[in-house]
Amino acid sequence: MLFNSIDFAIFLPIVFVLYWFVVKQHLRLQNTLLVIASYVFYGWWDWRFLSLILFSTIVDFSIGIYLKKTSHAKKRKYLLWTSIGVNIGLLMFFKYYNFFVDSFVTAFSFFGNSIQPNNLDIILPVGISFYTFQTLSYTIDVYNKKLKPTQNFIQFAAFVSFFPQLVAGPIERAKHLLPQFITKRKFNANFAMSGIYLIIWGLFKKVVVADNCAFFVNQIFDGSSNYSSLELFIGAILFGFQIYGDFSGYSDIAIGVARLFGFSLMVNFSFPYFSRNIAEFWRRWHISLSTWFRDYVYIPLGGSRGTSMKQIRNVLIVFLVSGFWHGANWTFIIWGGIHALLFLPLLLVNKNRTYVNDTKISFQQLPKIVFTFLLVTFAWVFFRADTATIAVNYIVDVFSFKGHSVALFYKTSKSVLFSLIILFSVITMLVFEFLSIQKHKKEVILSPIMAVFITILITFMGVFKNPSDFIYFQF
Amino acid sequence: MTLFLKKFGILFLGFICLATALSFGSLWALRQSSFYKPSFLANAVDESKFDYVILGASNGLTTLNTKVIDSVLAIDGINLSMDDTAVSSQYLMLQHFLAEGKQTKYCILASSPSSFDFKRNAINDNDYRFLMYANRSYVSDYYKQFSGKRASLLYHSKWMPTLGVSYYNAELFFPSMMSLVRPNKRNRFDEKGNYTYPVFQIEDELITDIEEMPIAFSNAYVKKIKGLCDANGITLICYISPIKTKYATINSVPFNVINHSNGLNNMKYFHDEIHVNTLGREASSLNFANDFEAYIKPSE
Repeated sequence: MLFNSIDFAIFLPIVFVLYWFVVKQHLRLQNTLLVIASYVFYGWWDWRFLSLILFSTIVDFSIGIYLKKTSHAKKRKYLLWTSIGVNIGLLMFFKYYNFFVDSFVTAFSFFGNSIQPNNLDIILPVGISFYTFQTLSYTIDVYNKKLKPTQNFIQFAAFVSFFPQLVAGPIERAKHLLPQFITKRKFNANFAMSGIYLIIWGLFKKVVVADNCAFFVNQIFDGSSNYSSLELFIGAILFGFQIYGDFSGYSDIAIGVARLFGFSLMVNFSFPYFSRNIAEFWRRWHISLSTWFRDYVYIPLGGSRGTSMKQIRNVLIVFLVSGFWHGANWTFIIWGGIHALLFLPLLLVNKNRTYVNDTKISFQQLPKIVFTFLLVTFAWVFFRADTATIAVNYIVDVFSFKGHSVALFYKTSKSVLFSLIILFSVITMLVFEFLSIQKHKKEVILSPIMAVFITILITFMGVFKNPSDFIYFQF
Repeated sequence: MTLFLKKFGILFLGFICLATALSFGSLWALRQSSFYKPSFLANAVDESKFDYVILGASNGLTTLNTKVIDSVLAIDGINLSMDDTAVSSQYLMLQHFLAEGKQTKYCILASSPSSFDFKRNAINDNDYRFLMYANRSYVSDYYKQFSGKRASLLYHSKWMPTLGVSYYNAELFFPSMMSLVRPNKRNRFDEKGNYTYPVFQIEDELITDIEEMPIAFSNAYVKKIKGLCDANGITLICYISPIKTKYATINSVPFNVINHSNGLNNMKYFHDEIHVNTLGREASSLNFANDFEAYIKPSE
């Protein structure tokens, strides 16, 4: 079920009414309702994949209980690796099996031998990378004794499958989200209203900014050789706004919906396109994933301690794995590698934490913001292109200065309309974000009048006829 | 909870009021304009009596040039075809034509060859262009008969215009804003309702490989159009436009047919498989005028 669908517009009020009016006195019933609602939400795509979530839930719940029961170090480690093996195994099979087979065949062919690939017709379960990481965080935290395992299966199942963030995050930590399923919820009108405003803002970013950008982005990336350098350059920038509007829009809606049920989810995007260097970008972009990798991969590897070589190794591993997490394609790995190369110089000269406490932005910093944005845009080309070769050709074409026509953006009345909508909506988004940063806000906070204004923009500028899927669903 | 419901209610009400006002305004502006064929007919066409009217899809729109036909036969016709429509939409257009108090002697049904035999009719891509007349019974009944999201949105727009105007915002809301500034602007058709595909490249090559394509006119809407024509003293003529590699075979049918499916046998006339370009339109219009003359003359 998509957040921007009529199905969800019917589903959400029904669950809300049942949750706060029918079962509000009973925590257990509220959690049960959330599990049922989440399974309906997920099963709407393909009910067969419900068995995967259920299997993951049972495995990690049981392992959590066994981890509590035993203090034997070897046994605990065995249990931890069982959880990691099962979760990563499922992920590897569904997401990476064909990639590994194809890569193996290619590598083998390189040495003059040819073998027949044995690909499987596997459908990728929506959001598998997200809920797998969420359940893993539970087991690892229980193993490290940072979290007490829950004895209540319904609470744990609700934590794993919580529908607002099930398919595209934010990837919640067990120690933040799980306790919220244990405590009795009290309805807070202001908190719920802030959720409504966030849903509106998220829908604006998704339906207006991202889906309108998709109109040009899909054309340009599907036939990049047909366009001028300037059109390709603008196409890359538009993809930057598309993926941001799409993904951060989803996160905002998820956080907003969770608030309607009394849950607080972590901030996932903190105005990343106002970053002044790549290190700051990664503190503002997909925060739930980057902090997951920081806590469960980077720090266990040694983090920024040790020799420079070790630091470089750790950073490279984290960025490459992060790229690979996004999808079974070399383009994502290269994308991760580019970010690692952009990040490493800052780490080595100890400038990676320059703006940690300096959140306010001045106009004098505009060149740094633009420069960082361009670097990020450069890497996005690899993220969006179907193959690494296409991405390289795309970038070569941008820098070969093959024409400066921008006819694509005005050749038909429809193109002009989309161009104007994109320009207006992107500026609106950036102005709202800039004002929020200046006020030290973690999210865009709308006034009631502004909320009505944004809703009107969604209604008359949104793409409803041919909406795009959320990009991150494929991950 | 009461506070939340109150705050949310005010927000929701504010949105509904504003969106409804904008949507009504948008449909009103389109109703006053000439942007789409339905309002073009109502606002920009002064004549009420025609010798013929062409109802069709993109074939009708781009194959028959009423200016050429009128000049050859010294008659007066209008092209009310709309691209991305089917016979069902043409029935709606005929209803609209009559509802606007217009009359015609002949109705030329120039739909796409395949749509003459549609077994199941559905809402067509450009049926939204009648939305500004959604409060008229023949339009709302038309939307109501179909199933699916788009038909449902269009039908319910009768009471909640925001549904249709929002869903088709690029096609309705923004053109309505333009219509406020330029009420005479037409959406890619001339003052007689014609449009043509440009000649991109001349491929001067004879077409020899032609397959047969039987047309039985089994679409229930063909019968409906025939019924409506009979009730209003209109003679129905079904026109099969040129197809690049197909020849339509037709068994006897209880109405007139002008079959020009193999009327053009050179690649240079075609824009694609089922559409002609400007050259093809000129040739097709002359061919049509030649055959149509046989119908016109006895009545003279």
